[in-house]
Amino acid sequence: MKQTGLAVTWRLIVLAFLLPPLLIIALDITIFGSFKGIDSAESFTRFANATLTAYTLCSLFLLGNLFFYGESRNRPLAPLVGMFFATVLGVLATVFLIGQGSMLLEDNGSVQAQAIYNIVHMFVSSGAIFVAVCVALGVTFSAITSQKPRSDFDLEEE
Amino acid sequence: MNIQALVKSMDEVFKAFLLFWIPVAMVPLGLWYSMSSSNKSTTTNGRFLAFLGLILICASPWTVPSSPSSAAGHLLGAIIGPCMLVLLGIYLISFSGNVPVGKLPRSDRKLGVFMAGSGFVWLAGMHWWVLTPQLAPDEVNPYWFVFWPTFLLLTSCLASCSAVTLLTIGDRRRAESNAMFLVSAVSLIVLLLGLNVDGPLVTGEQFRHHLWLAVADMAGIVVGSLLSILVFALVIYSYERSLPPPKTISPPSDSELDQVSALIESHLGGEEE
Repeated sequence: MKQTGLAVTWRLIVLAFLLPPLLIIALDITIFGSFKGIDSAESFTRFANATLTAYTLCSLFLLGNLFFYGESRNRPLAPLVGMFFATVLGVLATVFLIGQGSMLLEDNGSVQAQAIYNIVHMFVSSGAIFVAVCVALGVTFSAITSQKPRSDFDLEEE
Repeated sequence: MNIQALVKSMDEVFKAFLLFWIPVAMVPLGLWYSMSSSNKSTTTNGRFLAFLGLILICASPWTVPSSPSSAAGHLLGAIIGPCMLVLLGIYLISFSGNVPVGKLPRSDRKLGVFMAGSGFVWLAGMHWWVLTPQLAPDEVNPYWFVFWPTFLLLTSCLASCSAVTLLTIGDRRRAESNAMFLVSAVSLIVLLLGLNVDGPLVTGEQFRHHLWLAVADMAGIVVGSLLSILVFALVIYSYERSLPPPKTISPPSDSELDQVSALIESHLGGEEE
């Protein structure tokens, strides 16, 4: 029973996260009769580029973290080499897939230009995500601290 | 082959590397350096390195105007002011409330509300007023179309998520939850206004187009990051599995067990008060 309650809570939280984009889609369909503004080919290109770039950059970050993992385990070489190859795989997959033609090329003329654009784009997106997370967490914290302090007697009386 | 054009192009690539990419690398390196040691001079040097990197990135539209990447530096310079206002404002509001440590004077609350509000109005002015980041007259910085919809949509989603979390997991947090629903609703209303009300340089159609690209972008970042974490876990798991099992010690003998029992027995009990 307790497990079911927890599952419902998690579902509610996930649904709350998805609520704003779902509301926009619902309003679009209600007002315009269709879901407009989305170009599926371009969206797929952006999704694929973001996936490849996020994988490669995140792998590079985790590769750096493995040094600290190694420090506590007599610096084993095997996981470091494994993660290095995983990162190289990401770079090679990015270069190979972008080089396949116009599928993953946005408004850039070459593989190098697209790869650099992807990295800069990722920095800007990460910046926006960072500011949004800071705002959401900060406002939650300020909403909590703006309330009157609770005393232990209140809790005991319940 | 036009050797002069190649040399010129190499020169521009080198300039971009020196004046944009090295400063970009200086920011995380400086932060890592400042956090890796408790030594005060190391911390100061690291912070200075990160700050210098930020300044050089913001200056990149002037130092390497030929590089398309410098548009990101231009955007950083344009949004750093309002974003700092919003974040500092929220910090002042939070720590002028009921916090056990680091409490700020109550008067800082009004200043915080003013700062956060003016920062948000400044950002909105970049969409609907003359403050839009422009690389040239009437040429909107392309990265502004990445930042603004991503920020608005994610703020709305996270605030809504936080509101429901406070309601379902929190204890008597209805007032806080309502505040978070309000933040989510305000972000969503600004988003809907962006979809339907044109600014002087940004039309609703453009915003709509870039909003769904931002959704695709965020989904891609989540999938890519999860994939790399999965690969990381697999690498660690396969390494740990390849290790020989740790040496096991023999179970305690009867005499050792007796000794332990006697020791425990001598510590049990006690006098009634």
